[in-house]
Amino acid sequence: MKARHALGAIAGIAILGLALQGCAGSTTPAPASSSTKIDGTGKTLDVMIGANALYPAEQKQWFQDVSDRFEKQTGAKVNFETFASANDELTKIQTSVLSGQGPDLYNLGSTFTPTAYSTGAFVQLTEADWKKIGGRDKFIPGTLGISGPDAKHEVGIPFASRPFVMAYNKDLLAAAGIDKPATTWDGLTAQAKKLTTGDTYGMALAYADSYDPWKFVWAMSLQAGNPILDGKKARFDDPTTLKAYQTYFSWLTDEKVVDPSAIGWKNAQAVAAFASGKAAFLPMTTSTSMVTLDKSAVAGKYAYALMPTVPPGAKTTPKNGKPATSIISGDNMVVAKYSKNQDLAFALVNMLTSASSQTSYQKLFGDLPTNAAAAKKLEDGNAALAPVIDSAAKSVGTPFSGAWGDTQLALVNVVVQSIPSLSTGSLKVSDLKAKLATAQTAVQAALDKAK
Amino acid sequence: MSTSTPVKAPAVTRASGSPTGSPVGGRPARRPGRSPSERNRPFWMLAPGGILMVIIIIVPLAIAFVISLLDLDQYTLRSWLQAPFIGLQNYLEAVTKSSLLRSIWISVSYAAIASAVTLPIGVAAALATQNAFRGRGLVRSIFLIPYVLPAFVVGTVWRTMLQPGGVVDAGLTGLGIHAGLWLNGPQSYWALIAVQIWSSWPFFYLLVLAGLQSVDQEVHEAAAIDGAGWWTKLRHVIFPYLKGPVSLALIISFLHNINGFTLPFVLFGVPAPEDVNVLPVLTYITSFQSFRFGLSAAMAVASLVLIAIPLFIYLKAVRLDTGEEGKRP
Amino acid sequence: MTEILVRPPLLGRKPTGRLNADVTRLLPKPLLVTIVVILLLAVLVPLLYIVLASVNSDVSVASGAFFPTELHLDNYLKVWTTVDLRNGLINSVIVSGSVAIICAALAVSSAYVLVRFAFRGRLTVLRTLVGLQSIPGTLMLLPVFVLFASLASALGIQIIGTRWALFITYITFALPFSTWVMVTYLRGLPRELEEAARIDGASSWRILTRIIVPLSWPGIVVSAIFAFLLGWNDVLFASVMTDRTSRTAAVALQVFGATQEGGAIPLYGQMMAASLICALPVVVLYLVFQRYLVGGLTAGGVK
Repeated sequence: MKARHALGAIAGIAILGLALQGCAGSTTPAPASSSTKIDGTGKTLDVMIGANALYPAEQKQWFQDVSDRFEKQTGAKVNFETFASANDELTKIQTSVLSGQGPDLYNLGSTFTPTAYSTGAFVQLTEADWKKIGGRDKFIPGTLGISGPDAKHEVGIPFASRPFVMAYNKDLLAAAGIDKPATTWDGLTAQAKKLTTGDTYGMALAYADSYDPWKFVWAMSLQAGNPILDGKKARFDDPTTLKAYQTYFSWLTDEKVVDPSAIGWKNAQAVAAFASGKAAFLPMTTSTSMVTLDKSAVAGKYAYALMPTVPPGAKTTPKNGKPATSIISGDNMVVAKYSKNQDLAFALVNMLTSASSQTSYQKLFGDLPTNAAAAKKLEDGNAALAPVIDSAAKSVGTPFSGAWGDTQLALVNVVVQSIPSLSTGSLKVSDLKAKLATAQTAVQAALDKAK
Repeated sequence: MSTSTPVKAPAVTRASGSPTGSPVGGRPARRPGRSPSERNRPFWMLAPGGILMVIIIIVPLAIAFVISLLDLDQYTLRSWLQAPFIGLQNYLEAVTKSSLLRSIWISVSYAAIASAVTLPIGVAAALATQNAFRGRGLVRSIFLIPYVLPAFVVGTVWRTMLQPGGVVDAGLTGLGIHAGLWLNGPQSYWALIAVQIWSSWPFFYLLVLAGLQSVDQEVHEAAAIDGAGWWTKLRHVIFPYLKGPVSLALIISFLHNINGFTLPFVLFGVPAPEDVNVLPVLTYITSFQSFRFGLSAAMAVASLVLIAIPLFIYLKAVRLDTGEEGKRP
Repeated sequence: MTEILVRPPLLGRKPTGRLNADVTRLLPKPLLVTIVVILLLAVLVPLLYIVLASVNSDVSVASGAFFPTELHLDNYLKVWTTVDLRNGLINSVIVSGSVAIICAALAVSSAYVLVRFAFRGRLTVLRTLVGLQSIPGTLMLLPVFVLFASLASALGIQIIGTRWALFITYITFALPFSTWVMVTYLRGLPRELEEAARIDGASSWRILTRIIVPLSWPGIVVSAIFAFLLGWNDVLFASVMTDRTSRTAAVALQVFGATQEGGAIPLYGQMMAASLICALPVVVLYLVFQRYLVGGLTAGGVK
């Protein structure tokens, strides 16, 4: 019988594979005994890091290089594992925390640091720990803003900086007689309106993205003096938040400065629209978009600028408002408490945050350095990146609370649930207020549970 | 116990070339001693599967139940056994303060509609490919493709097609229809159903095709001699044979639809639009985004109970499982 | 195609004319043609879209074009370096393949006992097999992980991150349905041979391996294929239980898809190409085993 042979063949291959895997799986590193001189001979350090969509091949190469260098230094190998998305990242953290086993070192998106901190599963850095990674002073002070609730309780070591900026199409702006991008949201709206002609739109936005929208709402609210989470109080019901949502939505419904399709766009599609020259502004992007843009129709025709810092409806920053250009964005590294190779992990962090490593990392992947010396060097020689570096200095950290994850979710959820009425152009203020009230209840509950 | 329909199919096997085929309407007389043996029962053969299921399904299920009674969140996750025991509070919160009931309703109705629509499609496809024609083998293979594509791929492809300005919109606009949003708002519910149907009808098709093969030649001949029209023949002769496969396919596809996570997750992302906030996505978000593991487990356990009870009643009613034992007088 | 071979001899055309030739016909021809055409279109149009998108430029797919503006066959070459498909496919074949075989073996032996022997609680076991399908994977994810982690620390062996974790999980999750398929199949098998063997003094094991298994190949193939598919398509468990070396194709694909969301224009073309490449082994498997698949569900008939 043919089926039997075929099954038999598959069985043979499969069992062989499992047997091989069995051999490979049994090489678990032995627990480390820490001493001053780090000797990691024969050990393997597990590191969890986000998969790089733009440079998968380069990233693979970088993994290998890092491991080789580290082995030369300490005798230990580095085994990198990647997560695909923020969801993946959270799931991995949770399962590891729950089971007390997993990667030794995590490279986290900066806004996840509060969540990681709240689990209590990551090493709070002591004076001695900071020393092991070359001292706290080697980092740009701003990048440390979301490492912990305060300077004495920090878990996150800044590894990469990705502040948000706005890209604009120089040609389109020049053609419309606009000499430079606006610094107020109202001004930006006016410019976008002027730039919307035919099938070219003033802005490219991603209303259906799972992350983009909250950054707008948060920035506008904060600039008006509302950090959304104010100590133990959620402030979704604040008029500044309402105004922020209305502004963000009005670009689509009232001002019509965005492609109507943007209602279903993810971030990548907004980038694509800008890259094809169909949009004048691409707000809320990072220097990583450079890769795509330099290969696109707008190559050489675009520049970065700071996003507006004056809240909608205002001419200047209000008294209690903060002129934030971006959230503190990038990657923080955290060391797992359950790790038996903590010293090795610190040694690796030290290596990866050295000025030379950071400079080469920037060249490879476009993320800005967190190492102060490397950043200084970069600033001196790169005019195109100047606004991005400037934005890094003017970034403000999102509230450091265990409830931030829920807050972010609630902020985006208001947009998601508003989209149907936005598409018909009939979002009523009362509806929006009701949605904000729901969000307020949910986030306040999360905040009340926060420890 | 057994139906009085004269065409209850005997278990004739082609594969074994068994000679026990019996005439239409007949059933082999039950001989004494043919009931499942009660001597030398090799229970050890059940052991490997049984042990696996106990360890990998029952134990985790018990753990999940325990978790549903704990206030397990990001703050207590690290030593979960020490998380405060809060009794049924999670259940209370799930029912009163979360969108659980709404999600259950969405999930159950969507699963039922999708299963109900796939049923006639699968039956029609099986009937149409039952008789040989040129290229039938190819047609049968093509029919299976949607079923073998991973849910992740199906979700990604349809999301790309259904997005505003995507090919579906472009196609409909060409026909003069401005359909509006597919991936959010009320229509998203129907989009989910449509995609689910697209990817899962071949399962019905397969099971029905199988059922059709058990119709004896004699049955066809008898119907032909009676001069029955095609519809009468289907209705009164063929369909009774399909009761079993269709009932099983209904249950399995209903349950798979209810528990399907990947498709809605990939199609709509998170946070999910209200209209497609199905149960698995709700529990996933509660658990893995909001870190409310206790609450999420309570939601899942509650819905499990809600689904399992009607399921057992249904199983008893359709007597899928009774086999020969059920026919005992 | 192989269909011709499996057509039961009974259905063969007899020379006696119209009555016999058409006797098994179920639908009038126009209706039959309509159904086949509609269903083919419903299946093939989205499928064609995938194929076309896989050779299209990314910008063109993003803008909603159905037909490629320029042909990018290189997507099929590039994708092997962008996604770790090779490794993923190897892992998937190993894991799903062994799951399929072991699961079918366990299913046939369990089903044999459940069908041929009477015991208290038999019906409960059978119903539980169906009932187990109603347990959501999202509920099981964390507990199963906890279980493996504690087993690992208790026994000192690493399970998570290896293929064993997936192997054990998938076998167990596939077992209920596979057993069901075998139960319905075995019910259709005649008992005469077994009874004769038993009178000759054969043990249950001997009867199972020498009589039941050889007679049940179609059913075994069906349960194996359903088990294979479960392992092949799972993303939920595989995404947390594997590491870079043990990652399956489905996860590699999902990782690829998910990383495309942020930053730049997604590599739609390569994504579609990768999807097709990942679906191909399963489609081939279906084609190879198709006659067993249909036959395997048939012999018992699901009655």
